[in-house]
Amino acid sequence: MEDIKNQEVAFLSRKILELNKKLIESDKVKSRFLSLVASELNNPMTALLGMIPHLIPDSGDPREKTFHLVHEEALMLDFRVQNIVAAAEIESGEIDISYSSVDVSVLAKEAIEALKYAIEAKNILVSIENTLDKKIVTDAKKVYLIIKNLLSNGCLYGIESGLIDIGIHQDDKKVVINVKNQGEGPNVEFKPQVYTRFSEGPQGVHGLGLGLSVVRDFCERLDGSIDYSVKEGSVTFTVTLPLETAEPTSDANGSNEFLFESFDDAIEL
Amino acid sequence: MIHGNSTFIHVGQIHVDSAPAAISTVLGSCVAVCLYDIKLGIGGMNHYLLPFWNGNGLQSPKFGNIAIPKLIETMMMHGSSERTLQAKIFGGASMNISVTEAMMIGQKNILVAKEILKEYNIALVAEDVGGQQGRKIQFDIERGKVLLKYVTRSDMISRSE
Repeated sequence: MEDIKNQEVAFLSRKILELNKKLIESDKVKSRFLSLVASELNNPMTALLGMIPHLIPDSGDPREKTFHLVHEEALMLDFRVQNIVAAAEIESGEIDISYSSVDVSVLAKEAIEALKYAIEAKNILVSIENTLDKKIVTDAKKVYLIIKNLLSNGCLYGIESGLIDIGIHQDDKKVVINVKNQGEGPNVEFKPQVYTRFSEGPQGVHGLGLGLSVVRDFCERLDGSIDYSVKEGSVTFTVTLPLETAEPTSDANGSNEFLFESFDDAIEL
Repeated sequence: MIHGNSTFIHVGQIHVDSAPAAISTVLGSCVAVCLYDIKLGIGGMNHYLLPFWNGNGLQSPKFGNIAIPKLIETMMMHGSSERTLQAKIFGGASMNISVTEAMMIGQKNILVAKEILKEYNIALVAEDVGGQQGRKIQFDIERGKVLLKYVTRSDMISRSE
C-alpha cells in the first residue's frame, strides 16, 4: 500500500514538473512574440514588397489585373503587420524613439503611395496642403504610421468619390497634422471608445481596431496628442506634435540633457 | 559615479539591465517601481502615468496594473524569483495642487504599486513617494542603489507628467 502511494506521489511530482516546463515554455513563446512577429512576418514582407515591382507586366497584358490585386494585398498585409508590431512594442514597454530631421509632407506622400489602391478603389481624391516650410525633429517611422492609419481610416469610412484633405501646419510651437474625410463620424457614445483595440467600426465594418489605438499611443509617446471633430458631413482627425527644429545631435534630444546634471548631493535609497 | 550605460526611460517604458548600468527617469505624479535582484545583480524599472488600465486602447505599460506585473514578469524571465527581488518605489507627487482629482492620481499610483508588490510577495525595501515635488532618480544596478534628487516645478515642465 505504502509503495503504491509513493509511486503515485512520484508520478504526480513528475507531472507537475512537466507542466511547469510547459508553462515556462509557453511564457517564453509569449515573450518572443514581438521578435517573432517582427522577423517572421516583417522580413518576408519586406522581401515581397521589394520584388513585386520587378514583376510589373506590360500594359495590355492580361495578367495586369492579377498583378495589381497581388500588389494591393501585399501592401495591405504589410500595413497590418506594421500595426501589430507597433502594438506589441507599445504593450511590451520596449517602444523606443529614434529622432531625426523629418519632412512631414514627404511622409504624407509616402503614405498616399502605399495606400494608392484603397484610394483608387473608392475613387477618392487626396490633397496635401503643407504650410510648414521646415523639417521637424521627430521619429519618422512613427509619424509615417500615424499618417498612414489616419489616411487609411479616411478611405475606409469616407464616402465614394469623396475628398481627403491632409493639412500640415504650424500653430505656435506645435505642428498640426489634419486628416479630413467626407462621411459620417465614428459611431461611438464617448470619444475614447474610438481608440479601443479590436472594436467594431461604424456600419458593422470590422477592422483589427489596432490602428487608432497605436496612433494615440504613438502621439503621446512623441509628446503630442490626437483628437477628432465631426462637422457638416466630414470628420477631421487632428494630430498635434511638438515643433522641434533643432538639428539632432547625438543624445542631446529629449530629456537626456537634463540628466547630465550630477547626482552629487543626491539622496541614496 | 555610474559605470556603464545609463538608460533614460519615459512614460510607458520598461527597462531591465544588468550591472554595470543605470536606469534613470524623471517623475511627477507618475510612479516608477525599481526591482533589484540581490542574487543575480540585475535590475529593472518601469514608469507609469495612471494606476489602472481602463479597458480602452492598448494594454500599455503607462498603466500601473499593466506596468508592474510586466516588470516582474520580465525580471522572472531573466531568472529572478520573488524571494531574491527587492522593490523600491518613487514618485506619486501631487503636482497640481488646485485640482483635487490630480492630487489623487499620485496617491492612487502609489497605492497600486504597494498592492501589486504585496500580491507578488516582493519586499518593499525603500520608498520616497508623495509630497509636492517632482523627483529625478537614477538606479545604479551595480550597487542596487537609487540616487534621488528633488526637482522644482519649472524643471518639470514638459519633461514628465
